[in-house]
Amino acid sequence: MKRTALALSAAVTALLGAQAHAQSWSLAAAAAPYKGTTVSAIFLDRPGYKAAAALIPQFEKETGIKINFEVVPYESTNQRYVLDFTSGGGADLVLSDVVWIGQFADAGWMVPLDKFFKDPKLADPALNLKGFFPVLLNSFGTWNNKVYGLPFDNYSGLMYYNKCSLKAAGFSGPPKTWDELLKVYGPKLTGGGKYAFALQSRRGETQSADSFMRTLWLAGGSLIDPKTFQPTLGSAASQRGLKFRQDLMKYMPPGVVDMDHNEVVNAFNQGTVPIITEWSAFYPTITDPKQSKIGLNCLGVTTEPLGSAGLKPALGGFSLGVNSNSDAKKQAAAYLFIQWITAEKNAKAYVQAGGVSGRQAVYKDPAIRAKYLYVDPMVKSWSAGTAVPAFRPRFAEWPQISQIVAENGTKIMLGQLSTVAGAKTIDDQVRAILTKAGYYSGKKLKLQ
Amino acid sequence: MHTQRRITPFVFLAPAVLVLAVVGIYPLIFAAWVSLHTYLLAQPNIPHDFVWLSNYLTVLKDGSFWGAIGRTLLYLGVSLPIQIALGLGIAMLLRRGPWGRLRGFARVALVIPLAMTPVVTGLIGRLMFNQDFGVVNFALNSVTGQTVGTEWLGNPNLAFVTILLMEIWQWTPFAALIFLSGLTAVPVEVEEAATLETRSFWAMLRHIQLPFLLPALTAILILRTADILKQFDMVYTLTSGGPGSSTELINLYITRIGLRGAFDQGVASAQAILMLVLTTVLSRMYIRYLYRGDNA
Repeated sequence: MKRTALALSAAVTALLGAQAHAQSWSLAAAAAPYKGTTVSAIFLDRPGYKAAAALIPQFEKETGIKINFEVVPYESTNQRYVLDFTSGGGADLVLSDVVWIGQFADAGWMVPLDKFFKDPKLADPALNLKGFFPVLLNSFGTWNNKVYGLPFDNYSGLMYYNKCSLKAAGFSGPPKTWDELLKVYGPKLTGGGKYAFALQSRRGETQSADSFMRTLWLAGGSLIDPKTFQPTLGSAASQRGLKFRQDLMKYMPPGVVDMDHNEVVNAFNQGTVPIITEWSAFYPTITDPKQSKIGLNCLGVTTEPLGSAGLKPALGGFSLGVNSNSDAKKQAAAYLFIQWITAEKNAKAYVQAGGVSGRQAVYKDPAIRAKYLYVDPMVKSWSAGTAVPAFRPRFAEWPQISQIVAENGTKIMLGQLSTVAGAKTIDDQVRAILTKAGYYSGKKLKLQ
Repeated sequence: MHTQRRITPFVFLAPAVLVLAVVGIYPLIFAAWVSLHTYLLAQPNIPHDFVWLSNYLTVLKDGSFWGAIGRTLLYLGVSLPIQIALGLGIAMLLRRGPWGRLRGFARVALVIPLAMTPVVTGLIGRLMFNQDFGVVNFALNSVTGQTVGTEWLGNPNLAFVTILLMEIWQWTPFAALIFLSGLTAVPVEVEEAATLETRSFWAMLRHIQLPFLLPALTAILILRTADILKQFDMVYTLTSGGPGSSTELINLYITRIGLRGAFDQGVASAQAILMLVLTTVLSRMYIRYLYRGDNA
């Protein structure tokens, strides 16, 4: 009896203590020791970063910490980080693409955030990691069960369609399946210099992620077997996906192998192509009247079409973490910024400024759901059972594999390689890379 | 006094030698050292083991490397003669043509492409050759009266033609200006004497002007060959080496191996050393067979 009373008393004391801490913690007080510290960051030229840039002055005012960011083209960012990290430097805030987290974490370039979560002076009691969409936290920020970054710039593949063009062609809505896009919408919407669909396929991560992997998943294929890590592009499902892409090319602009995100979005905005599958992050560009002729009345946004494997939308995005090379003061200041910019309480402001938050709560707000057409399909795409956390393998070898996929993927599209020969070329090289890395000999854990 | 006179030249030379050693010789020796070791930049936990000539063997057995070498030599073999021919033609016109004040303007205009950074050239090319709204297709449409819609950057062969056109556009003026300065070395009295013998343009060019232009030609060949073999920025911004690998020149490939994806500095350094050998051999060949001056 006495023991129970004691335990109850301890629990109450702990609860009260936690409550007191929650009430006493403030950003200004946590940041006081770091006032005047300058934190460097690399940003991309995308809406999510412009949104963050708009909010940064508020953080700087509250904390006295200065955030210095430099805008770098996406295709140069990984190279920039690797060179900076290996020379012992690099930006204090690490912007990690979903497919770099394994590389950065394995090399010890990012600090496990647990260190800050456990520091009561730094950790905001309202941090609430469970408030992030689990797939985003797990995929973008976590490696080998350790959290290295918090989801910051978050994307899901969505289908954008021009309702007016579809209506004029006799369709009451967008295609529900990829097969329907190919067999019904493709022939009817292609002709007279217009094309039914455009799949961004330029050589680079765009080809490997947006084009190649997307078509693999829709047919139930994959790059490697998740258990054995053996390459599987030769499997019936993977081949089905690759052949489907070849068939669909009839209804895409002829130069689609050189089209990057901007070109595809532009083709959609100018009314040349009525259906595209693009990242949720392009919503502000598509709805910007200065850049788009379509207008909100004709714009439709929904989930990607269903494939034979069901809904397998593209998943991509970035987490923000802390550079191991930075000194303790900059690390702490960087963590405070990450915690603040990804906080639940700031999610609405971030979304309204053009960003796509990884917080679940903000998308329950009826005003946000009504204003942003992308919200409902994106939330559905990120839901458990739908999202594919390893849409692209996240291990350290992906950047190398991505180069091979990009080269041979475009060759397949151009007909320079058949889907079978292209798959074999990629499979052989992927196997050699994974063998060298030690996945098959057991030297390296099979994590992706 | 005698010792001081012996030391003085070395003191004056020392800064230049030091700078050369730091920015030229040390990186070269380091690249040679790296080419004999495992050196994976993105995987710092893997030790830098000495691997003998393994990286060189990897390069020599790599079909993509030879593909990139072949494309680069084709790029060199097509673009350089065109640059030289057009450059010589422009130089001859500017020297003698009935241009009046236009001559001065043309000389200034020639400098504009040269002053442009290759990245900007690539971006301009991307806009000019855009299938939908590029000025090249617009011009073709206007001439033919129908929508041509040539996919300059989406078709492997046309993409190669596109990078060739941009290369020729940017660097023909360089050849023209060098030839123009070379033509000033042709003595007027020799040309006048020759006109008593022949009125043939080709004979004058072959027997009078060309011998004086050989140093200029050698300089163009050496400088442009070295530059073309190092070509990266313009092609990277214009096509990124695609579609497929149709415009992946050797420098793009070396960069892909060493600074992207694998970050394999060992193999990339071996590739770079082999390219250095190729560039040196080509330069020596130019000097040996074209420019039989005192230093040949």
